[in-house]
Amino acid sequence: MAENKEEMNAITISNVTKQFKVFLDKGQSLKERLLFKNRNRYENRIVLDDISLTIKKGEAVGLVGHNGCGKSTLLKLMTRILYPEKGVVDVKGRVSSLIELGAGFHPDMSGRENIYTNASIFGLTKSEIDKRLDDIIEFSELEEFIDNPVRTYSSGMYMRLAFSVAINVDADVLLIDEILAVGDANFQAKCFNKLQQIKASGTTIVIVSHSLGQIEAFCDRSIWINKGKIVADGLPRDIHPQYLDYMGEMRNEQNMKEKAKAESKQAKEAQEAKAASEEAEEAKAEEAKQEEEAPEVKKRWGNGDARISKVTIFDANGKEKNVFHVGSKIVIKVDYKVKKMVKDAVFGIGIFRADGVNCYGTNTRIDRIDEFNITRDGTVELTMERVDLLPGKYLVDLAIECGDGIPVDYYKEACAFETYSPRGDVGIVRIEQSWDFPDKP
Amino acid sequence: MLKEIWDYRQMIISLVRKDLRGRYKGSVLGFMWTFINPLFQLIVYSFVFSTILRSNIEKYYLFLFVALIPWIFFSAAITGGSTSVLSQKDLVKKIYFPREVLPIAYVTSCFVNMLLCFIVVFVVVFISGTKLSILGLVYLPIVMIVEYILALGIAMITSAVTVYFRDLEHILGIISMAWMYFTPVVYSQDLILDSGMPEKFKFLFMHVNPMTSIINAYRTILYYGAAPDMSTLVEAVFLGVIFLVVGLLIFSKLKKHFAEEL
Repeated sequence: MAENKEEMNAITISNVTKQFKVFLDKGQSLKERLLFKNRNRYENRIVLDDISLTIKKGEAVGLVGHNGCGKSTLLKLMTRILYPEKGVVDVKGRVSSLIELGAGFHPDMSGRENIYTNASIFGLTKSEIDKRLDDIIEFSELEEFIDNPVRTYSSGMYMRLAFSVAINVDADVLLIDEILAVGDANFQAKCFNKLQQIKASGTTIVIVSHSLGQIEAFCDRSIWINKGKIVADGLPRDIHPQYLDYMGEMRNEQNMKEKAKAESKQAKEAQEAKAASEEAEEAKAEEAKQEEEAPEVKKRWGNGDARISKVTIFDANGKEKNVFHVGSKIVIKVDYKVKKMVKDAVFGIGIFRADGVNCYGTNTRIDRIDEFNITRDGTVELTMERVDLLPGKYLVDLAIECGDGIPVDYYKEACAFETYSPRGDVGIVRIEQSWDFPDKP
Repeated sequence: MLKEIWDYRQMIISLVRKDLRGRYKGSVLGFMWTFINPLFQLIVYSFVFSTILRSNIEKYYLFLFVALIPWIFFSAAITGGSTSVLSQKDLVKKIYFPREVLPIAYVTSCFVNMLLCFIVVFVVVFISGTKLSILGLVYLPIVMIVEYILALGIAMITSAVTVYFRDLEHILGIISMAWMYFTPVVYSQDLILDSGMPEKFKFLFMHVNPMTSIINAYRTILYYGAAPDMSTLVEAVFLGVIFLVVGLLIFSKLKKHFAEEL
């Protein structure tokens, strides 16, 4: 029984550690090595840290993780391009990889000859290639051009030929790094169908992709790798929400850092400008100030009686954030300063998708909030209970107007937020829905 | 390992074909350069050694030519072979295949090139009116295979080491030049044996340098028209096999980190 189980595993990875020497400044030649001996310093960067996993025969597995997490390295270990420092990688059967397409293509040789060259690199013998030749040519849809030199091909034709070879190798294990966007929509659909067919025929498939949708559509299992370790392993629809939440968290942190950086830079510049203006004559300072403000003109207009001074976005728990799960509560807090009384002030907001589509807009008048005169600096908080905008980046315009419709401060792209979601629904906004089949027995 | 290389034989064939096809790509004379190159080398060497240096060897052009062509193969195999892995780094970094395929394909392609050049050699031999012995011609392929094994063994080592130590490519240029003058290619071995050089040097020349006996065997067959004394080749066979085994071992040790070093 145990033996039987062993046979069922196509890929066994046990306690694998892989580290790269990262040379800070490496001399490639003898002279450099001798002259700059102390330059040969390097750091050991651990890419995979004591990873163990088994993949059963016929399984389709997706590897997910952010850039540099080690998933591509893991794939390269499986193909035996790289070898681990510690541990054992055991892959049973013939391996084909859709990592590098068109390896060894020679531009002056015909498509047919290149099929032989390329397929031979996958370890096929001549008779094996002869058997597959018709399938490959048919799949590539290049029948008319197959005897022309490859240099006359368009890049799409080139990739189609390369993909057709790689996919017709009949490997026991197929490793794919990013399902490539090959050819037009029709050809892509064909590739996808072919992959499904290969999967159905019992080939073990491992995919590295950033497109979670592709993995969900294709794989029975998803492995999330982070910092060289396996974080989670299971059904794609269980793993991906966790992964997305983590990614959202990370992006949020990053955005916050950037924001803090930008703010400190701004503060510094303001200080410098101030110092400069004190020294210089007033008129000149005014001029400089105007120039400085010039690029902002397009983004901001109004009579300036009051000005939006600060915009902050919070989540339901009052934590400052700008990346949200679809359907979250979002609170936008706007601080404003008043120079001159604004009569019957109206506050407004407009939310735009990054490509300019206006997704939503409203103001205090539309929402029938009583108008009032603002005379002192203050704050307004806009709470959106549930933002169902689908994943993407959204820009927020904020505005203060006075009662007669004259803009006081229109602040274009005052702030921005992003949304994410593991669900693949499309459009602008999510509409909660359910499906019912009353006629179903 | 050897079985795996055998499984990838089609890849070796493809690479050899691609190399031979691509070598003179875009040049007007194209594949003719395979023949023109050695012919012109022959003319230059013949001129230098029969007009300027006067070597007193009968039919010097033939004496030289039958040795020069095998030497060019050997020299190209070890110097060019050293970059055979390096030059295919895109392949090595992205795709798995037994890495041994690369130096094997390169040396084989040089070897095929030499075989083609032998068409010219036979034409020159025919024109010169030399009578060849049948037994000698039977031995000729054996001599070629011995040389091939030796060149392959050395190329295995140089191609693997060059990945880690790029200077080797240039160092090999110097070594191969020195090696040529340490081998009776442009002169007769008697020149060394009859000279007053120390015995130790003569021993190195005759018995340690495997190329001496290989070149002598070619010359015996094609210049003297006789069958070579195969016993002198034993040392070359022995050294060739040692080089090949050691080469394969070093290569299989070093190949694991190729993808990282390239």
